[in-house]
Amino acid sequence: MKAIFVLVAFTSLAQIAAAQEIPKDPPPITSDSSHLPRVVLISMGGTIASRAPDRMNITNYGGKDQPKVDPQDWIHDLPELANIARITLEDFRPPTDRKERETMEDMREVAHRLNELANDPAVDGVVITHGTNTMAEVAFYVNLTVKTDKPIVFVGSQRPWTGISGDGPLNLYDAVRVAASPQARGKGVLHCMNQNINTARDVTKTSAYRVQTFKGVDVGAIGFADPDRIVFYREPTRKHTVSSEFAGMDFKSLPPVEVFYSYTEAPGYVIDAAVEHGVKGIVVDGVGAGVTTNSETEAIKRAQAKGVVVVITARVHGGRVQETVTRTTAKLVNGDNLPPEKARILLQFALTKTSDWREIKRYFDEY
Amino acid sequence: MKINLLSILLPVALCSLPGLVRAGDLPKVKVFSTGGTIQGSGATRDAIANYKPAIFTPKQLLDNLPEAAKIADLSCEEIAATGSGGIDTKIQLKLAKAINAWLAQSDTTGAVVTHGTATLEETAYFLNLTIHSDKPVVVVGSMRPHSAISRDGPLNLYNAIRTAANPEARDKGVLVLLNEEINAARDVTKTNTERVNTFESRDLGPIGFADSDRIVFYRKLLYRHTHKSEFDVSKLTELPKVDIVYGYQEGGRDAVDALIAAGAKGIVLDDNAPGFTAAVKDGREKGIVFVQSDRKGSGRVLESARSAERGVVTADNLNAQKARQLLRLALTKTSDPKEIQRIFDEY
Repeated sequence: MKAIFVLVAFTSLAQIAAAQEIPKDPPPITSDSSHLPRVVLISMGGTIASRAPDRMNITNYGGKDQPKVDPQDWIHDLPELANIARITLEDFRPPTDRKERETMEDMREVAHRLNELANDPAVDGVVITHGTNTMAEVAFYVNLTVKTDKPIVFVGSQRPWTGISGDGPLNLYDAVRVAASPQARGKGVLHCMNQNINTARDVTKTSAYRVQTFKGVDVGAIGFADPDRIVFYREPTRKHTVSSEFAGMDFKSLPPVEVFYSYTEAPGYVIDAAVEHGVKGIVVDGVGAGVTTNSETEAIKRAQAKGVVVVITARVHGGRVQETVTRTTAKLVNGDNLPPEKARILLQFALTKTSDWREIKRYFDEY
Repeated sequence: MKINLLSILLPVALCSLPGLVRAGDLPKVKVFSTGGTIQGSGATRDAIANYKPAIFTPKQLLDNLPEAAKIADLSCEEIAATGSGGIDTKIQLKLAKAINAWLAQSDTTGAVVTHGTATLEETAYFLNLTIHSDKPVVVVGSMRPHSAISRDGPLNLYNAIRTAANPEARDKGVLVLLNEEINAARDVTKTNTERVNTFESRDLGPIGFADSDRIVFYRKLLYRHTHKSEFDVSKLTELPKVDIVYGYQEGGRDAVDALIAAGAKGIVLDDNAPGFTAAVKDGREKGIVFVQSDRKGSGRVLESARSAERGVVTADNLNAQKARQLLRLALTKTSDPKEIQRIFDEY
């Protein structure tokens, strides 16, 4: 169940919790906000929505007994948001008592809601908070499925909302600025943390704890949320949002696809096991430029004989897996420079259209 | 000596491969040479750092790269034969005019420029502002001379020609190609004195790759360049004098004053120094335009009311040497800091 709150107005200054890095004297809130862009702020939770018992605790937070940061708390603690946008809150946090932390169904639900907001003339942009661990792949899912040129900006934080020198407040503030910016339109789903604006396709988490963790390893940021202005230098050439063949569609279920990590003596039997379980596609994260062990190679052939489509990515996480004569002969789809978790999602969508490996290769060349 | 070296090093030059396609059907690409390490030669194969630039002619480079003739109908034109240090405004203007004339022909596809790597980024950005065509212009160099073992030049040149012949490279501004990476002229800089991966766009990364299977682009540029540029150098024989002053602890105003006395119309202040404030105040009274860049090499100089009040233009994330190139072109149009700030915001 999704609770929806509407922020009407804030007339009082935020009550400053001692634990937080919020300015003591926030600026007065604009009385007339009617001209401001309308931004929907969706919480999918994450570290940015987490509390710790004390502010020096920046790594061991959350847990069942710890109260969360509700979407209203962000607005309460960060009244400056009301100076840059008219914000509506929506809560898409997965229930805490569930077996799995996050499911593909959670992604489907939020994508469905985003497609509704895309058609809502009263919405100019959307910000989505999410835990940082799988945020990049959720953003990529949305990049493929939501039919809009409105800005959709993913944001999170590395330190809990209550942490000393927490990065959450500025990240959230900047994400709302980007979502409210007309320049951010038509650039695909964006990611904004640490003042960098990256694209959903190219951004990945590169460090467990540092605030500069999100990077476009191969092709870099496309702009910055700097204090003086939002600035864009580039836009992506690959298909996304409005130009995606999957945009606007609601996939009740996606064909099962699993990922296998390659290493010295990596065995093929785990691939056999997945095929036994009925996977329709597999992604093998090969060594170097996308190389598998002989045992994996034999298992891949057995899988292909049963109609399973195989995509090769590279565990070095930088550079493309290229089209080669060897791969073409072996009917292997080269995964370009997608990491395996994103290749998995693209393969799942591609398999809803075709199981022809050549046609699926086209998706990997174009998206 | 030169010929001996060639015959030892480059046996491939002797077996010229018959082209499968007639040259007339291939995209027409011209190589404009200025020299540099990519045309350089040392006395021995292991002279990696001790060599002279601009020894080999572009024709020799192409004769040693017969594979390139299979992907493009090639010709060459020598603009200069020097290293990075020898490149001056005269050569830059000559180069821009020659490339503009070549690309204006309806049957041409693209241009490649050989250049020393030390100031390659400056000439590339200058061309990005002065070439009035959306056809690909690819600036290429190498870190090791043509005579060296494991020289990077031939693959760089081959990839530069592939990119210049590629329709997807159109409307992406002037490109810089070394080490299989395609960088945008505005954003790329040399980051290492010796390594082959020296060229990087620190803030924004490359925009594509010249991979073996194909040329691939991931980014389009949003700022103004080439065919959308307002700068026309077709009738110019010189440019306003613009120099750079580096900021550091206890840095004074001596350099600023001396440059103004020597005729500088614009000065790029790379970071801050205690003496700059007074020097800027006096310089502004003489109509000198100041641009503030930053020596850290990454990130934007933010616009601020204080800078604007002082009449100092902020350089965005251009480094000092590129801010210099843009400022001297801007000064051909105006000396109004507000208008020049508009130019720095757009290019």
